[in-house]
Amino acid sequence: MDSAEKIVRFINYPLVVFPMMIDSYVFISLLIFAVLSSIGSLMTKDNFYSALYMALALVFIASTYALVNLQEIFILIVFIFVGAVGIVTVSLAAVYKFKPSMQVSKAWIIPSVLTAGILSYVFYRSSTYIEFQGASINIDDYLVLIIALVSLMVLLMLSVISISRGD
Amino acid sequence: MQVAFVLAASVAILMVAYTMAISSRDLIRLLISLELMFGAVFLALIPLFSIRSLLDESFILAVITIFTSSSELLVLIGTIVKLDRIKKDITTTSIVAGGELP
Repeated sequence: MDSAEKIVRFINYPLVVFPMMIDSYVFISLLIFAVLSSIGSLMTKDNFYSALYMALALVFIASTYALVNLQEIFILIVFIFVGAVGIVTVSLAAVYKFKPSMQVSKAWIIPSVLTAGILSYVFYRSSTYIEFQGASINIDDYLVLIIALVSLMVLLMLSVISISRGD
Repeated sequence: MQVAFVLAASVAILMVAYTMAISSRDLIRLLISLELMFGAVFLALIPLFSIRSLLDESFILAVITIFTSSSELLVLIGTIVKLDRIKKDITTTSIVAGGELP
């Protein structure tokens, strides 16, 4: 048996798998779940559930980063994008409740599917295999960037508060 | 893993978001579709991290994308609240160009 192979028991059935293949399967599953969640967000009638599906899709997208050993980006997406902006969107969707109605234009589904299919085929034809390595970053520059971006966020939040108060 | 899977998923999510944006009747649905578009952008950035010599730049690019998109969506949320206060309506038909009558 190849040293890279590993035996995994699944309901008493020994399965011979490759460690790299497990990663790939989990990665592809996450991508499929992300796409399905986004389709759920499109198809659901209620805005509240649409926002929840959207948050779920973003968590799956962030999980793909965690899977390729990029935890920093995972934390940024989950904490800032899903945790802050996503939850505000969910709250807004819960506050502005309308009578649930289908908001899907059927005329646009066919061109969208065609475009996605053609682009996916083009990507598949010119595709290469990629591998991810452990990440290391220059802390000093990164710290300056983070401080600058946090300042930007604070300024924007202040301007939003100013707009909301009507000043 | 194949880079095509990541890019195909990214394109699929982007197309779903476009369809949602085109057929949205209220601004909440539009906001959700914009967030999905940014999600597709995050997904499309993943292959960049496989290039060892561009790792620092990829990190910076991802951080800038996350913060900029969050700020943009925050402004849109503020705009929705403000529009509701002024017009008591957040349907897309209530949005008109400056000075144009609905």
